[in-house]
Amino acid sequence: MLLESLISFLADTWLLWILVGIRVTLFWQARRSQYFHYVLNRYMLALITLLLVSGIVFSLMEVLPGDCAEKIIAYKNTQGETITQADIDAERARLGLDKPMPVRWLNWVTDLTLNGDLGYSCAKRQSVNLALGDRFWMSFWFCVAGLAFAYLIAVPFGILSAYALNQPWKDRNPRHSTVKRSINSLGLAANKLLDLLLRMISYLGLALPNFLLALTIILFYVFAGESAPTGLFSDQWNNEPWFNDQGFQTGKLVDFMGHIWLPIFVIGWAATALQLQTVRALVVDESSKLYVEAARARGVSGTALWIRYPVRHSISPLFNSIGFDFQRVFNDLPIVALVIGLTDAAALLIEALAMTNDQELAAGILFLVALVVISMNFLTDTILAAVDPRVRNSVLGAGGH
Amino acid sequence: MTSLIARFRGKQQTSQESYYTAGQFALIRSRFARKTSGVIAGWILGTLVLLGLFAPFFSPSDPSIRGADTSYQRGAPQIIKFKDENGFSWRPFTYTYSKPDSGFDLSSLAAGGSLDALDALTSSGALDASEQNRYEIDRNQRRYIQFFVEGWEYSVLSIESLDIDIRWNLHLFGVENGQIHLMGTDEDGKDVFSRTLHAIWVTISIAVVALIVKLLVSLLVGGVSGYFGGRVDAILMSFTEAVRVIPSIPVYLACAVMLAGLELTPTQRYFAIAVVIGALDFAALGRRLRTHILTERNQDYVLAAQLSGASTGRIIWRHLVPSFSSYIIVDTLINFPYVILAETSLSFLGLGLTEPVNSLGVLLQKAQDPDIQQNMVWQFFPVVVFVALIMAFVFVGDALRDAADPYSEQNK
Repeated sequence: MLLESLISFLADTWLLWILVGIRVTLFWQARRSQYFHYVLNRYMLALITLLLVSGIVFSLMEVLPGDCAEKIIAYKNTQGETITQADIDAERARLGLDKPMPVRWLNWVTDLTLNGDLGYSCAKRQSVNLALGDRFWMSFWFCVAGLAFAYLIAVPFGILSAYALNQPWKDRNPRHSTVKRSINSLGLAANKLLDLLLRMISYLGLALPNFLLALTIILFYVFAGESAPTGLFSDQWNNEPWFNDQGFQTGKLVDFMGHIWLPIFVIGWAATALQLQTVRALVVDESSKLYVEAARARGVSGTALWIRYPVRHSISPLFNSIGFDFQRVFNDLPIVALVIGLTDAAALLIEALAMTNDQELAAGILFLVALVVISMNFLTDTILAAVDPRVRNSVLGAGGH
Repeated sequence: MTSLIARFRGKQQTSQESYYTAGQFALIRSRFARKTSGVIAGWILGTLVLLGLFAPFFSPSDPSIRGADTSYQRGAPQIIKFKDENGFSWRPFTYTYSKPDSGFDLSSLAAGGSLDALDALTSSGALDASEQNRYEIDRNQRRYIQFFVEGWEYSVLSIESLDIDIRWNLHLFGVENGQIHLMGTDEDGKDVFSRTLHAIWVTISIAVVALIVKLLVSLLVGGVSGYFGGRVDAILMSFTEAVRVIPSIPVYLACAVMLAGLELTPTQRYFAIAVVIGALDFAALGRRLRTHILTERNQDYVLAAQLSGASTGRIIWRHLVPSFSSYIIVDTLINFPYVILAETSLSFLGLGLTEPVNSLGVLLQKAQDPDIQQNMVWQFFPVVVFVALIMAFVFVGDALRDAADPYSEQNK
């Protein structure tokens, strides 16, 4: 009897215990190690930020018109019951909506920290956790894939762009022979042109709004007379399970891949422009520093110089910004999801905000995105402090700030 | 342009002495002039902005419903020619377009009223959307293009509070009778070219308002946080951090939904959207300002100002911020495309500006209409202008960023 109530108590408050457990472990470690002191600091800061985020998100949702009581009553109205204002007020009192906003926010946060419950969506008439289900993970992996796409293109070409930036169009070195000079000039000009072309293409991704890009691609399919790869699966595979009697269905995977590239490509291309600008600026900043000059004076030159000095040093700020890059990519996802006809969390977010005014669902999704960004920032901060000696010295030397 | 020519001739512009005595902005300008792609993008950008600013002068017809050409709805772009089989003319011309007789008579419907007649009418293709775009060209009736013609009246300067309203009716070009539609017309017969020109300025001015608001909020947050430090800094910065991690488009959306519930005139709505976009975007610039002011506030010149009795606001505004002005200007320019894109996204969802207003977002939104995609491709003209505008901004921003970087000079 006692055991059962203990188990149900633990099941209701599991998240709180995990959070407290991490806090205690870190605190224990921090007594001996300065590094863990820093991690503990970051951890507490992340929790405070999360609390603030929940406050901002919750008060933002207050501005959306309508509330839960009205939605539930409106639903009953469609079932043929007649409604009075008194009914709505009674429903409000039952749901606790007549309490002031801070109290409701506190309730929401308490439920969230105790067992990860994001509340109840009145428009969908089910709990937010259930309504979201796997859809949030779907959006998450879309963003990660889009980000990976952007990094794969932006990092090498950003470096190339930075390299080409400070190069002249022509080789005018008088010590080189005429033949060598013309060959070098050809290479330099090719570099410059390639840089310009790549920047043009990547900025085109920025300049073409996402929805237009997605529409254009779909339009090409329409003109070609084929069905556009909207959604996640074609009708044929939609209801097939991943595994059947013959084992894994490769056809479904192929079909999935045939559809999944479109959203990833669209959001990835738009993200590439910003990444390229960032990488370029970082590498240019580093490449004009004195240690590069010193390395050049020691006789390191060419690709070896670039890879070992400025490029290596500009990786860590880039790594540090992954969290915010994720947020930026997610920013673009809702509209793309709307055009392509995805049914992930981003599409739900648009639906909840612009159509059904579903405050609870929208707040839940926004909070989850912020949670992912904050966790990513926490992880990159701690990893960088462990790996990069410059970061370690600056954060640990200053007493963990 | 002169700098570009000088560049190709290999002329050295800056002599040693003027280089060392040049101010910060002169240095940025001279470095910017050496970036070919930046200079070209700058010229394109300047042209577009001028076209947008003087849109009424450059556009041959009124972009509002008043100027709609009812005799040429859903019309294709009219091609300008110098020569045809009737001979050559120095003055460019287009032809007279007229709607052919629709060819279907409704009398059969009126007489019998049977569904068979309706079916026959529908299957004959006379009601197809593409059929409605068809115009007959009368090649013998040329419309010559006139320059500096008098046309529809527009207001050059209008200040309501002072009761000033200067109106003018001169336009760069037009035709004698009827209207000219360089880029075709939309469903109502509004000239796409004129609408696009007017939209440029609306979009840019939204971005300008948003960026000014953003700058003010960033200055406030960054300045206060950096100058006072300590607890104020900690509270403000954790708040900034929290705002920064929430995706912005959904937040704009929530605000736009709220705005949609209010009773607003189009102008108020337009400013409200600009203010919302600007006010929520302070995090990045605010943080940079704060870091800068944190390092600068212990400098001797700040202490000197404090001892002379300068107030806190004056120290931040007159001493600390100017030391950072080049960064602020460059950052503002770089952020232009992103603000414009935010406005476009809102308009796409129907929550930004809406139809009768000419903004690039509104015009782009039409691109999702299947009717336009299949039958009126010329309505994609605003897309081309939009892409050119954003690209020009990004390239200018890139070149400016390089030019404003004081270390980039060391290698040369």
